[in-house]
Amino acid sequence: MSQRLSGWLRASAAALGLLASAPTAIAQPTAANPQTVTMWSHWPDEASKRGYVEGRVRAFETSNPQCRVRLSFIQKADIYTSARAAVRTGQAPDIFWLEPDEIAFARNGFLEPLDKYVDLNGLEDWARASWTHNGRVYGLPLEAYTVELYYNRERVRALGVEVPGNGQMGQAQFTDLVRRGVAAGVTPLAQGVADRPFPGAYFLEEVLLRRLGPDDYRKLLTGRLSFRDPRVMAAMTWMRELVDIGAYPRSMATLKLGESHYYFHTNPGALMFPIASWYTGRAFVPPESGGQPAGFPLGLMQYPAMENSDCPECKTLAVGGSYVMYSRSRNKECAGALLNSFVNIESGNQWMEGVLLQTGIRTDPSRISGINAPYFRELQQRSEGARFFIGTPLQYMTGRCADTFQQVLNRALPGGQITPQDAATQMDAACAAAPQ
Amino acid sequence: MSAPAEAARIALSAAPRRWWPASRQGGRDPGAPSWLTLMVFLAPALVLYAGLTAYPVIRTFADSLYDLENMDAPRFIGLAHFVQIWSDETFLRAIRNTLVWSFIAPFLDVATGLLLALCLYAGVPFARFLRIAWFTPVLLSYVVVSILWLWIYNYDWGALNLALRAVGLDGWTRAWLGESNTALAALMVTHAWKWAGFNMVVCLAALHALPSEVLEAAELDHCGWAAKLRHIIIPLMRPTLLNLYILAFIGKMKVFDLVWIMTQGGPMWSTETVSTYVYKRAFAWNTFDLGYPSAIAVVWFIIVLAAAALLHLAFRQREKLEY
Repeated sequence: MSQRLSGWLRASAAALGLLASAPTAIAQPTAANPQTVTMWSHWPDEASKRGYVEGRVRAFETSNPQCRVRLSFIQKADIYTSARAAVRTGQAPDIFWLEPDEIAFARNGFLEPLDKYVDLNGLEDWARASWTHNGRVYGLPLEAYTVELYYNRERVRALGVEVPGNGQMGQAQFTDLVRRGVAAGVTPLAQGVADRPFPGAYFLEEVLLRRLGPDDYRKLLTGRLSFRDPRVMAAMTWMRELVDIGAYPRSMATLKLGESHYYFHTNPGALMFPIASWYTGRAFVPPESGGQPAGFPLGLMQYPAMENSDCPECKTLAVGGSYVMYSRSRNKECAGALLNSFVNIESGNQWMEGVLLQTGIRTDPSRISGINAPYFRELQQRSEGARFFIGTPLQYMTGRCADTFQQVLNRALPGGQITPQDAATQMDAACAAAPQ
Repeated sequence: MSAPAEAARIALSAAPRRWWPASRQGGRDPGAPSWLTLMVFLAPALVLYAGLTAYPVIRTFADSLYDLENMDAPRFIGLAHFVQIWSDETFLRAIRNTLVWSFIAPFLDVATGLLLALCLYAGVPFARFLRIAWFTPVLLSYVVVSILWLWIYNYDWGALNLALRAVGLDGWTRAWLGESNTALAALMVTHAWKWAGFNMVVCLAALHALPSEVLEAAELDHCGWAAKLRHIIIPLMRPTLLNLYILAFIGKMKVFDLVWIMTQGGPMWSTETVSTYVYKRAFAWNTFDLGYPSAIAVVWFIIVLAAAALLHLAFRQREKLEY
């Protein structure tokens, strides 16, 4: 009897042991039974970024045979719409692409904190801060950028204007350049806002940042400083003056972001292009793929500083495209390992060298080489001595305030559709009461 | 047999044959299917309808009563969203734009369709080719139509501005989609262009169905084309034209794709429609709160339903009065 009982007990213990170990055996990925991580990335039409991500994923799969990655490149707007619906139903991919202004995903518990998966010391402090919510880091800040003012050296020179060595023009000098461009039949500033809520405001926001300094600029973006402040009004009035002279293309409203690149460097060509430093993603590809022509005389100047600017050396630095992990992912082990494989100096340098763009991953820029190294040196030169303001307006604004920014400062003001007074009134009405 | 029983027997014998299963009390019609058979055939459609139409509608009505900012802890707020809606300037602007579009644009749609149908009816040269060409836009998706018209409206090289410049009207050129006072009209024209072919086909069918003796009698009375059109053709086609108007009206109350691709509601909300606003509030406002957008959808659902019913009643009443 006791033998039978002990037999039963042994069998039961073995069965329980098997049951207990079963989930572990299923969860543990092996080369024979690999975990497949689904990953959605933006940048389907930016060859250099796409190439970089594909390369990193391939390298990860080679060194981690227990993990497979199903990588898709999808346009940003489609990722946002799909992800927003998918996270609610448990259908979201393990890893997807977001920008820090979408922190609501983390607030609602849809993102997995990366603290235990990723070596956070391998990230720049400011980049980590952009993805920190309640003390935890939710995004891998792969892409970072500064807001730059590119120009065509030859066209500007042909107008008899010499850009100062430090790239810094004053208000009067810049207005004169715009006038000369219009008189010569060349659009001074290429810009397209048809498919993006922000590029039309680049010029104004950089001028405002320099005029107000970082503290007051932050107050402006968070509804604690009125847009009717005399300094803000002066900047908007100057902007409207430039618009009335003819600074922007009349087709701006229907010009898409990608098309505005082509407008600047190829057809019809413009003097300047206010855009983030991710210009290279679309421009540094072969001309037949929409890139700038070979030997294009690309230059970088500083945004003009108005008189009495509080911080002429200020500049926007922001985290852009990042990768996040879905909190309900069933493949967190491989997904975390994949994200961590991006975080090392070699990977960061590879990004900068290949994409020619800043990153939130720690890097060693002195090791950058290659045919586009001179461009990268100039980009760094333009940021020497700069005082960075972290984040773009849309990373501070939400809801109605962000919508009004999009309609008023991104479209209507540069489109000459609204007076500075009306613009200020609308922005104040939408942002002053906005929850921060 | 008692009088009531006799009356019931007569009523039963006079009643049309039922398609539904007879009740136990009423006796069973041997030709009628059983409830089980009916349900087997109806179930797939009913399940699809319940899952894909009824449930989302009920859920939208329910969500409109909650603050869903925190998904894990929905907060019941009653009718607060419905109160808030009426002080939402963007929503009111979206309603105005949508109503302008819905009431005015169908005239353009129906008139264009009628005009094209009359051309074909009158036997213009290359009628077969033109009929296909004019109908083709109906087959195109909104994405294609939008991109096509984005090019046509382009300020620098768009066909419209090039044509104006070619005839010396440089002063008339403008950024059609970039200016608040022309953007909505530009979208209305695009929408009319897409649907003109559909209206044309329906009008053409109605024209061919007109009683020939009436038209011939008018010709015998030396009635000219214009008079025949005004006094005979249009009055006879009234029901068709009214139905087209109502169809166009309902379509425009829901318009989204065209606006989203061409202007995203800009500039300055001048082309914002209720549909684009609901979408923005639900998916583009950096929030997960579906409560407020659901409230907008509920209000708009009721408005569309009421407007369609009113139009239907008004036109039906008119018909009754005339005939």
